Amino acid sequence: MQKATGKYFYHALKVDHDICIGCTHCIKACPTEAIRVKNGKAVIAANKCVDCGECFRVCPVRAIYIKQDDFAELSKYKYRIALVPAVFISQFAEGIRTSQIYACLKKLGFTHIYEVEHGVGVMIELMNNYMLDNEAKKPFISAFCPAVVRLIQVRFPSLVKNIIHLKAPLDVASITILERLTDAGINKEEIGTFYITPCAAKIAAVKSPVENITSSISGVINIDFLYNKVQQMLAKENTPIDPINHSLSGRDIMWSLSGGESQNFSGNCFAVDGIRNVINFLERIENEEIESDGIIEMRVCDQSCAGGVLNPNNRFVAVNKVKKRADYLDSKLDGRSCFLPTFSQDFNNRVKSLMSIEEIKPRSILKLDDNLQKALKMVENINKTKAILPGTDCGACGAPTCSALAEDITRENAKLEDCIFLSSECDRCAETLERIWNYKNKNK
Amino acid sequence: MELSFKIEGGNFSGAGSASSEVKRTLKQLDVDASQIKRIVIALYEAEINVVAHAFGGKIEVKISADKVFARIQDQGPGIADISKAMQEGYSTASSKVREMGFGAGMGLPNIKSNVDVFDIQSVVNEGTVLEMTFYLS
Repeated sequence: MQKATGKYFYHALKVDHDICIGCTHCIKACPTEAIRVKNGKAVIAANKCVDCGECFRVCPVRAIYIKQDDFAELSKYKYRIALVPAVFISQFAEGIRTSQIYACLKKLGFTHIYEVEHGVGVMIELMNNYMLDNEAKKPFISAFCPAVVRLIQVRFPSLVKNIIHLKAPLDVASITILERLTDAGINKEEIGTFYITPCAAKIAAVKSPVENITSSISGVINIDFLYNKVQQMLAKENTPIDPINHSLSGRDIMWSLSGGESQNFSGNCFAVDGIRNVINFLERIENEEIESDGIIEMRVCDQSCAGGVLNPNNRFVAVNKVKKRADYLDSKLDGRSCFLPTFSQDFNNRVKSLMSIEEIKPRSILKLDDNLQKALKMVENINKTKAILPGTDCGACGAPTCSALAEDITRENAKLEDCIFLSSECDRCAETLERIWNYKNKNK
Repeated sequence: MELSFKIEGGNFSGAGSASSEVKRTLKQLDVDASQIKRIVIALYEAEINVVAHAFGGKIEVKISADKVFARIQDQGPGIADISKAMQEGYSTASSKVREMGFGAGMGLPNIKSNVDVFDIQSVVNEGTVLEMTFYLS
């Protein structure tokens, strides 16, 4: 069981300073300008990072890594549950059966395999009820992608109230299996639930859930780690193809794809993916330019979870595979819209009662000072400094943009001298600036 | 502190840059979210008015500890009957502008409902000056 600690969020993204070459790729990719290069190494500001993983994608030397739990943790538990997302299955080549992948996971040490999308049916019910009960909190933004929730907390604090305060299908799945096993008389301490994650944000959300309470998930294993293990097994031996008793529908496994969530709801819904698109859309929601009485589904990865930073497979190929599998599962439904819930109403109600998020706190990173007078002075200072800086956003100072450096200088975290063009040691810089960037025209 | 922006008549796709810049600054100042919202909405509407009706103009925004003052000045056809323009649903926007989803006749009424002090002066065939004040406390 994990508990949130510390002042800020837990972050799964880490920088290995032995490998980092201080190249500045990551500072440019970060959507919250959370990274600076200092003394030749990238440093991530804990209060600003939303665990989207964009820095991980662009690091040329793999100095940025995503810290997973030790796989050996599994052995601590008698019952070891793999919580598998549909995108895991879609990483493997055509012809590899779901049942073979399950069999490999069991050989690796898991006692139960449970696909997290089993929680989708309950999730849809919960979300519909939430929307009925919270009319005043329109437009509704889904809490599915933890990086989106964190992005809203730090950059769009006024929209925190619009987030649907419910956990994700992953939690429904985890709570369901925990309750079922404990109902069967198994001691909770003997059960370990391990989520196979396609991204850093999900890890961070498990380690320090927004609501600051205990998560029902014991550990998180990176998708690429298990993918490699399973691939090695598939290459070596004949894996049995046992038929699985499917109880998932196409609708369920499509949930983590773009549009897979919003397609289940009525009203004016939107499906937004890709971090830049998400930021742009949030700006528009904030300006009340977007009218929505349905769900606004947002995921920071392009192609949603199929584009997760840890996925070995190409995102478009993975989407295609999930869709094909969805068609196959639907063909087994014989015209029914979904499989009927196999649990009693009482049981479902118990799971539902554990799904709400009490509070998501705004944590603005834009705020300069508590004192408005002082903040005003700082804004003026930033603007003045910006006017002096070359505006080339070259990143050589270690900050992503000249604006960011101006803010750092004003916050006394950097000096004007950090700009190589303004540094007294650079005697031909003014000339270079003029020749390449036409510096004199900058403020026109 | 002061911010100023140019507005280009007819450039609908570029509209909104002034209000986003002001929004960013107000967030840095940690101004209350509901205050930011009404300021941004009024500024955006005012910007769109200039884009939709005038040849061009400018926005000047002064932010102080107790209030935000904005002055939007344009060169354009001016408003012949200001009291009519203040009525909800009254619009002189061309059918082209309406096709684009603007010109519903809600601009000025919407601005007025979001500001604390509102002043509008207009000379036909010259232009319009709109002044708005938002008290922060």
